Parts: sequence; C-alpha cells; structure tokens
Amino acid sequence: MNHRIRLFDVIERSLSGEVMSERDFDMKKIAIETQKMVKKYDINFKGDNFLMHDQGFLNRVWDAGIELLATTGVYSKDTGRVISYTEAEIRDLIKLAPKEAIYGADGDAVLEVSRTPDDTRLVTNMGGSVSVPMPNEYFVPCMMSYIQEPLVEMHCPTTNMEISNGMEIRTKSPLEIIAAWEEVKLFRYASSILGREGMAHHGIGISVSDIGQLATSFMMKKTDSHCIGIISELKVDNTILNKIAQTVMLDAQANPYANPIYGGLGGGVNGQLVLMTAEMIACSIIFLGTTVGTTPTHPNLFISTNKELMQITSIVFAAISTNSNIMTRLTQTMAGGPVTKTLLYEVIASTIAATKSGVSRLQGPRSATGAVTGACSGLEARLQGEVIRAAVGLTQEKAEEIIQKAYSMYVDDLKTQPYGKPFWEAYDVHSIKPSDEWQKMYEDVKNEAISWGLPL
Amino acid sequence: MDDKFLALADTVKEGDIDKGVAEVEKLLAGGVKPVALFTECIEPTLNILGQQFSVLEIFLPELMIAADVVNAIQEVVEPILRESGEANISKGTAVIATVYGDLHDIGKNMVSLMMQVNGFKVYDMGVDVSPQALLAKSEEVDADLLCLSGLMMPSMPFMRETIELAKANPKLADMKIMVGGGPVTDQWASDNNADGYADDAMGAVKKGIELVA
Repeated sequence: MNHRIRLFDVIERSLSGEVMSERDFDMKKIAIETQKMVKKYDINFKGDNFLMHDQGFLNRVWDAGIELLATTGVYSKDTGRVISYTEAEIRDLIKLAPKEAIYGADGDAVLEVSRTPDDTRLVTNMGGSVSVPMPNEYFVPCMMSYIQEPLVEMHCPTTNMEISNGMEIRTKSPLEIIAAWEEVKLFRYASSILGREGMAHHGIGISVSDIGQLATSFMMKKTDSHCIGIISELKVDNTILNKIAQTVMLDAQANPYANPIYGGLGGGVNGQLVLMTAEMIACSIIFLGTTVGTTPTHPNLFISTNKELMQITSIVFAAISTNSNIMTRLTQTMAGGPVTKTLLYEVIASTIAATKSGVSRLQGPRSATGAVTGACSGLEARLQGEVIRAAVGLTQEKAEEIIQKAYSMYVDDLKTQPYGKPFWEAYDVHSIKPSDEWQKMYEDVKNEAISWGLPL
Repeated sequence: MDDKFLALADTVKEGDIDKGVAEVEKLLAGGVKPVALFTECIEPTLNILGQQFSVLEIFLPELMIAADVVNAIQEVVEPILRESGEANISKGTAVIATVYGDLHDIGKNMVSLMMQVNGFKVYDMGVDVSPQALLAKSEEVDADLLCLSGLMMPSMPFMRETIELAKANPKLADMKIMVGGGPVTDQWASDNNADGYADDAMGAVKKGIELVA
C-alpha cells in the first residue's frame, strides 16, 4: 500500500474515530493502559546493565507496545478523536516498514539500514546539536564544524537565533518562513563550500509550526530527512498532519519522532519501555516514517544519558530491531558541553549502548542539554562517528564493560551539568578548527577509551 | 498526622474519589472543621507526594489521580467554607500555559498539577496560547500568578510579549509572572521583567508560593 493511500486512511480515521477529551485520553488511555500492559506482559526490569540479552523480555516489550498502541490509538487534538488501528492492522502495517533507505545524494549518499544489536553494518552518524540556540554570526561556522567531518553523514543544524537582518525569529509568523528559507540556503551553502553538496539535511529543525516547513519543502530534496515531531504522548494535530501530508505528496522521506518524558504519563522504566515502543511503532505505521526517532527526556536533568534512559532506549531499540525492520533513530542529549570530558564520556557510553542495541541512526550529540546558547561543536560528532565504527565489532559483554566504565566517569557530573565553552571559544571560528585545549581533551579521552578496549 | 486522617490520606494517595469524598463527609459529620481537612491532612499528604515526584519515586499519573481526589473534595468542602466564613484554603489563583507557537505540554502539565495539588486554583489553558488570550483569562479570573512555559527559541518572543503586555495592563498590576522551560534561564527571566523563574515542577511550586505570599 503506498503512502498516499495510507495517508488518506490516517486522515479519515482522524475524522471518524472515537470522540474523547484530551484529559481522558491522557489518563484513561495512556497512563492506565500503559500500566495494565506492564502487568499483563510482566515487564519488570531490574538491574544495572545497559544492554539487554533476554530475548524473551524483548519480545514481551514488543508485544506490549503493539497492544498498547492498539488500545490507545493516537489522539487528534484538532478533531478530538482517536486515530485507532486494530492489533492485526498494526502487525500487518509493521511489515511494510522499509529495510533500508538512501539519505543524501552522489558521493554524500548514505545507505541507512535496519540493524540488529550485533549487526556489523554501521549506524548512520547524523551530526548536529538540534535546538541549541546559536547567534547568527556563528550559525554557518558551527554548521561547517560538523559538515567538514568525514564521519558525519547527515546534518541537523542548531537553532539560528536571528534571521540575516538581525530580527528575532517568531514562530507562526512571516519570520518563521524567512528563517526556514535561510536555514536551508545556509546549509546548502555550507555543504557546497565544503564539497559535500549531496549531504542530507535533517529538518527543517527551526520550523516549529507547519508554515516554515511547508514554505520550504520545494527547497528540500527527496533524499533529505523530513523531520516531524509528534506530541507527547501519542498525540497529533493538524499542523503535524500537514507536514506529513506535504512530505508524502512530495514522495520524500518522513522522519517522525516522539519525545517521551521519563516520569510522565508512562511512569518509570517499565512503563516507558512499553510506551516508547508504542510511540515508535506509531511513528512508523501512522506517521509513515521511513526512519522513526525518539528524543527521550529526563524531566529534571533534561538529558538522555542517565542510567534509566539509556537502559530504556537500549531495550526498546533491541526489542524493535529483533522483531521488525523498523529503522530507529536516537537523539542523544548530553549534560556536558564542549571542552568538557563529561561530554566525551557521555558520547562513548550512549553511542555504544545504542549501536549495540540495533539503532539505525544516531543524532547529535545534543550537547549541554541542547538549551545552552552556543554550547556545541563538530568535534563531539566526530567522536560519535568514531565510536560507532569501533563499537560494531565489540561483543555484547565487552560493550557493556566499556559503557559501565564510561558511565562511571561522568555519572557524578549529571547534576552539575558542566556546560563547558561555547562554540566560539571551543573552535577557531575562522579556520573551523578545535582549540588546542579541546583537541587535547578529545585525544586524551580517546586514548583512555582505547585503554579500556574500545578500538578507536 | 492524626490517626483520624490516615484513611483520607490513603484515598488521596490511591486516587479513590468515591472513598475520599465519603471519608470527608464522615469526618465533617464527626465534627472535624473543614479547614483542618486541608491543613492537617490534605496539604501534608500532597507535600509528601510532591517530594516523591520531585525525585521520581512516584510519577505523573499518581499525581494526576491525587489531584482528581483533591478536586472532588474541594467541591464538597468549598460551599461549607464559604457558608461558614472560614479561611480561604486556596494559596492563590494561577493561569498557566505553554506560549504561542509551542506545542510542548508535559513539562507544563507537571507544573500545573504540582500547583494544583499544592493548593493553587489553576486555570490550565493548554499549549500554543496567544499573549492576548492569556491576559484575557488572567483578567477574567483575577489571577495572582501567570505561569508561562516555553521550549522553543522561536516562541520566546511571545513569552516576552506576554510579560510586556501584562506589565502594561493596570488591571493586572498585582499579578506576578513566573517563567520556565528549556531555553529560559534565571537571567532571561530577569532581563525580561518576569517576577520569577523555576526550572522544574517542585521549584515552580516553591517560587509560586513565594511570589503570591
């Protein structure tokens, strides 16, 4: 069934599904049904390991996620109705998930594949620190610090703080349209002068509402990654369906993602395992994702590299990758910023955990919680790519050992969150080279990781 | 907590509305003063739940069901309080929303619930709410506190605009404004004339109480 027919089906269900208040959907569907699935499928995770090898447990997480989605559906905030699919329909639609996709073109094309935890094929390295506010004068130099890295295969820019005439960007206004145009044009410019014209752009990250994305869709290529965030938990509105409709009608590749909140409606670790699985399946079958993403967030730390979230994502990716072809993407959000060892240790631990759980693409690192002005640089994305390549050949046991070691090096910093230095202090912004201090720190941590047995 | 309140505290923790209301009616019939229900039982219970939530020993659904019980109890007790002229049990009236152009709601929902369970009368306007709608609602309910959440940089101008319009509105002269969300910092709050900033739900409750005191 092609995506246009499936899109009509989604729209039709959003107009005819069960009527429900949003509060009832949150409480009666998401919160209560998630906990019912936790009990029914005996999802009772305990332990300190980051990687999960119990296939029976992974299968239960997978089945619980499917049944949860069949029970809850997805809530349309604009129609006040639930977009529902039966379990049989969900299982049939999952079979349509693509096994591979090409992002980018020519010499910059990357073949993204559906992986398994011990797959030796590489995870796509999408460098970029989405949502980091970046002053206009450093927007292009920072972008170049990622694009120039040979191991960065796709790019998601930071958030430009102003448009070119210095005006602050406002969503749902003409300024959003102008900002979206400028983001795409500046990305193409930066990739062109670095000889990487074919590199896939993931975005338009800056477009909050639908107007920026719709206004610039003609500037996007089919081989770009059309990023579409759904609303937590398992909700959608017409601005999101508008983006999906435009992407589908362009025959382009939708990359929807969900932001499950740890401690939120899904509760703790066990509920999040089920809910995150359901959300990623929804991103595949309802939001028609070629690759489906998650950006899990800790409600107090605003990161994804604490123990619980790394365990959750590892288990969910392993459950999905061993039960389906769905290609998954993780946005890694770190506590540390540039010129801190914390950030580098986080990259090592989180990248190995996701790679050895079957993820297809890593996005990030989203340095310094993704919210600190200027706090990101291309060097951490270089390390992300290097760790991917080193991790694929590790045994699960060795991978677990290195993750534990790296985690022990940064766990005490998670609450203090050392944001480090902004891009313009971490790099020479003219030569786009890391400062001596940042370069040395990177080399020191790499050597340390090599001594742990990571073949960097 | 006095033993006579333990059963009521349990109904709040367990989210049992029917039992909670029945327990309140039983206590009132037994001569317990309505205000005491709150000061000696519900507030301490909610404080415990709030503390547990702030360190993620319990999660959002537990808070939601506790809030449902407390709301049901308030509906029973408030008419009696009004009739008897006893002290107002509310800590203040708050309007809360995620600002225009931003659809993120879970962080805002957490703050909203924590404010409710800690004694504020909360009008939650949802997400993507314009400055004009926020000010109209604040005027309508005579808000003591306006809580603004924002996670997207391109929505921040609307947060600033809401503050500017509120500060220029003489009908809202006494209303305090508290802000929070990913790109918001204490410095941003100070630079943009907000009265307070909080970086998590428990901090929002503490700051909110401080601002309306």
